[in-house]
Amino acid sequence: MSSNSANGNGIVGTRVPLIDALKKTTGEGFYTDDIKLPGMIVGKILRSPHPHARVKRIDVSKAEALTGVHAVLTGDEPGAQNRFGVLPISRDEIALPKPGAAGRAGRVLYVGDCVAAVAADNEEIALQALALLDVEYEIVPAIIRVEKGLEKTTEPIQDRTKDGTNVHKTVEQQFGDVAGVLDNSAHVRTNEFEFIGVNHAFTEPMATIAHYDADDRLVLWSAQQVPHYLHRALADVMEMPMHRIRVIRPMVGGGFGGKSDPFPHEMIASLLSRKCRRPVKILFDREEVFYNNHGRHPTKTRIIVAADKDGMLTALDVDATIDGGAWGSFGVVTTYYNGVLAMGPYRIDNFNYAGRRVYTNKAPCGAMRGHGAVNTRFSFEVTLDQLADDLKMDPCDLRLKNLLPANTETINGFRITSNGTRECIERARERSGWDQKYGQLPFGQGIGLSCGFYISGSAHRIHFNELPHSTVHIKIDMDGGVTVHCMAAEIGQGSDTMLAQCVAESLGIKMERIRIFSADSDTDPVDLGSYSSRVTFMAGNAAVRAAEKIREKLIQAAARKTGYPAGGFVLTNEKVVYKPNPDIFLTFDEALTAALAKSGALIAKGAYLDPPPIGKRNEFKGWRAGLSPTYSFQAYMAQVHVDPETFEVRVQKVWAAHDCGKALNPLAVEGQIEGCVHMGLGQVLMEDMSYLHGTIQGPNFLDYRTLTPMQMPDVDVIIVESGDPEGPFGAKEAGEGPLLPILPAVANAIYDAVGVRVFSLPITPDKLWKAAQRQGVKID
Amino acid sequence: MILPSFKYHQPTTLNEAFAVAKTCNGDFDFIAGGTDVLPNYKNRLNNRSHVISLSAIKELFELGDSKIGAMVTLVQLEKNEWLLQNHPAIAQAAHLIATPPLRESATVGGNILLDTRCWFFNQSHLWRESKGFCLKADGNDCLVVPQKDICYATYSGDLAPVFMVLGASFHLAGPAGRREVAAADFFRHDGITRYVKQPEEILTHISLPENAGELRASYRKLRLRDSMDYPVMGAAVALRLNGKIVDELRIAITGIDTTPFLYDDITKGVSGRELNSALTAQIANDVMEAVKPYRNVHFTPQYRKAMVGVYLKRLLQELSGD
Ligand SMILES: Cc1cc2nc3c(=O)[nH]c(=O)nc-3n(C[C@H](O)[C@H](O)[C@H](O)COP(=O)(O)OP(=O)(O)OC[C@H]3O[C@@H](n4cnc5c(N)ncnc54)[C@H](O)[C@@H]3O)c2cc1C
Repeated sequence: MSSNSANGNGIVGTRVPLIDALKKTTGEGFYTDDIKLPGMIVGKILRSPHPHARVKRIDVSKAEALTGVHAVLTGDEPGAQNRFGVLPISRDEIALPKPGAAGRAGRVLYVGDCVAAVAADNEEIALQALALLDVEYEIVPAIIRVEKGLEKTTEPIQDRTKDGTNVHKTVEQQFGDVAGVLDNSAHVRTNEFEFIGVNHAFTEPMATIAHYDADDRLVLWSAQQVPHYLHRALADVMEMPMHRIRVIRPMVGGGFGGKSDPFPHEMIASLLSRKCRRPVKILFDREEVFYNNHGRHPTKTRIIVAADKDGMLTALDVDATIDGGAWGSFGVVTTYYNGVLAMGPYRIDNFNYAGRRVYTNKAPCGAMRGHGAVNTRFSFEVTLDQLADDLKMDPCDLRLKNLLPANTETINGFRITSNGTRECIERARERSGWDQKYGQLPFGQGIGLSCGFYISGSAHRIHFNELPHSTVHIKIDMDGGVTVHCMAAEIGQGSDTMLAQCVAESLGIKMERIRIFSADSDTDPVDLGSYSSRVTFMAGNAAVRAAEKIREKLIQAAARKTGYPAGGFVLTNEKVVYKPNPDIFLTFDEALTAALAKSGALIAKGAYLDPPPIGKRNEFKGWRAGLSPTYSFQAYMAQVHVDPETFEVRVQKVWAAHDCGKALNPLAVEGQIEGCVHMGLGQVLMEDMSYLHGTIQGPNFLDYRTLTPMQMPDVDVIIVESGDPEGPFGAKEAGEGPLLPILPAVANAIYDAVGVRVFSLPITPDKLWKAAQRQGVKID
Repeated sequence: MILPSFKYHQPTTLNEAFAVAKTCNGDFDFIAGGTDVLPNYKNRLNNRSHVISLSAIKELFELGDSKIGAMVTLVQLEKNEWLLQNHPAIAQAAHLIATPPLRESATVGGNILLDTRCWFFNQSHLWRESKGFCLKADGNDCLVVPQKDICYATYSGDLAPVFMVLGASFHLAGPAGRREVAAADFFRHDGITRYVKQPEEILTHISLPENAGELRASYRKLRLRDSMDYPVMGAAVALRLNGKIVDELRIAITGIDTTPFLYDDITKGVSGRELNSALTAQIANDVMEAVKPYRNVHFTPQYRKAMVGVYLKRLLQELSGD
């Protein structure tokens, strides 16, 4: 592939501020809620106060009679009952329950689930109208604890479950001979971990505007990471062909996986608009964001790790019970990822995984940064530290000894190409002074290590078809600006900037010429969306390919114009230069004028199709899960201070080494790593989506505690560039993998500091204090 | 979330405020910075049809000369030279409240009169509906300690315990005249009535006794994050030592019970004794044994109780220069 190294134009590999940063910071940019259309009205959703209930009847007459109300919507509306869901294999979501209907169709499934909706002149009237809706519920016993969902029931939460239980999905995979090896391993550690759910806590709440317009087209603006899947789901629910629907993604204030499903409120806004023929805006408050959730699954993980007497890992056994909440969402993938991503970055030849995802009457869980891998990674890396203790080995050395090499295949069929884990560990070790610190700091201070591993895009599509994963169009007209079209969703992670850099680097031009159009399904070609850390790898490759075709056209024009052979030309510094004699050149604009002559605007298309065939095709069930064109690797060290009496934890410093292949934009990579540290510290130290008898305990940002800047440690970002042979200019992901290792690194550091382990997250001072009391920890 | 509609009044004198209040038939709230009132209104928690702002009544803004006007903002407290010199514990406690932008609007009066908090109470209407409502709003039983008489919501203001240990007084003005109530006698053990102030009375200012400056005082606050969070336990201590001998010691705890509480019954007995590590441990332990936290804010009651001991020990060590 021609795209594995920078062209030397100095755009890739330099610190470039994100191209939308000024608009965002000055307030000029607009998000969905900033959009105001003529005649626009407000949609509001009535939400269920019950975790599980049949909706027997809804009397809408009073609400409909209220002045200023334009439409009242229930599950009786055509379309409101059409099933949807991000994965075609578990489409179990509906916009609204149908009063009186049997089964799932007529029930609300959790506190906060949508019951009915109204559209009115303003929010005040809409709220009044909601209060006037008279709903008759019949309470159904609720499944709150995940264990309860494993039992048989006469009224499962969803229609399609396993054997009359509330189990949504089970996965079982076996490689090698785990049982045999466990019997013969010198060291075996078994642990049970409990992870509470966490929410993405993105800044911008959900917002959607639907306009069913005069042309009978549906136009939907929505804060989304996966506009394409939304587009498909809208077509199903509205029963309209996709070309009659236009999806627009305005600026998005963060997603982290929380905006990567098609959602009921998007269907509701569309149905409301079709009903009253007005643009309808739905904007969530924070509490609704928590009810909509789709955050990280609460999980109970049992893990067994074994090593021989020399510290070679011999077996890994993972068992995960995953609390899915009421809907499927990405849950099938989650169930796989809890197991299949566990082994990397280590070589282990005996591996068992059993996982099950269970429906409960709680807010649906879904994808969240580090999807499916975070909780298992924590379990594994903490257990590894115990093994290092047992083996009297340094945790760095234990890991180094067991690393996967580059260019290899794992027992479950992952093709490992570039791999910088060794360099990650070694550089973090040196910079942190690990060898002088680990096990040697005074009581109350400690340092901990963890590695990480994550996919860089999913090799297989959610929808089985032969379309590219990503397509990029480039157009250049006589104004000299370069227009790049691609639906890759910019959600704050910097994908627009990445596309601009890839194109500018390939064409040897300044970034200011590039304008990115990545928001409109009418004009921008399909990209599957911002999930599974796929965008830089896939859309980046597509952009480079499109740019290469444009480059060819410009070179041909320069060759024609100058009379020198095309093979000698390169694009650099806004020029098309004849390399053997750099005095012979055309400026970019001159070459462009020549190329446009008698032809008009240059256009080109590039696509990312598939990685070469990988995986153990059809050898076992779920062979596709976790396959990625390449993987990212990390090693983090965290130094903490633990107050020996209050057990308050302060993370003082983090050394974060991440192999992203090639940092196209080191500034953005640093931002992603620091953001991941911040987010991961939240999950390990404080974030907690507990339920109080079936209702989220604190669905607001005062009770749901995310890290404030006051707790943010200094992060020493160590970028490791292993140069991926297939990534655009060698790049792979930097958005999710960097989250994984911070959690176990902190837990391991706490143990180094005070000798106490807490097996449930978050590790709050009260839990740590209690564990220390139980363990009889004495302060010197 | 939008506010419910209400009529807004902005009287310019106390008397005008009383007159407006009278026309509202009890259906009103005074509002200072609004950082407590407005979030509660958004959650539809006991919201009223009339809101009477105190922001135009000049006499409430005084600061200095042992007198702190009720409308003084927390930022002013934090930065006030006179306070930093004479009563640093007040500035120190103010600095630990909420967040910098909130402290710009939040006032001393509002902080003292802060409504009690509970995770069954500080929730939206939908949330509370899902739990069947509580005694403090729209319901008829306390969901923390089921019994129908009093509310067990937690008092979570940071300044009150400091004012208590410094022996401050709260000055009230009402249609019937003015009165002064010692901080120690101000609060009532019920999360709904909360204090002795009558609804139509306005807190005008706080005064500090002449000798308050002789006390060394300090405040520490337990919470998960260093910003934003309310105290789930806060301890204030004021101490006057004569050499190593205790002349006067006062301890108050907030964030544990429905009121901040002054532990004079425990500390009175130690006057005249030498403040050594044994006595420090004993005092810390006695107060710890006296508190009874409920499970209605974050952190377990056991931990919050244990931290009373740890925090008091540290405060006593800090103040005795140990
Ligand atoms: C996110 C957040 C975090 C917070 N964290 C903390 C914290 O850590 N510690 C803490 O103590 N507080 C905290 N608060 C609460 C609040 O911000 C402060 O207590 C603040 O000082 C309240 O003052 P205010 O002027 O805004 O009160 P307001 O909301 O205006 O009033 C509060 C109450 O006092 C009454 N009132 C106010 N002034 C008078 C007066 N002069 N006479 C009669 N009645 C009066 C009002 O009627 C109302 O009942 C927090 C609030 C938020 C939103």
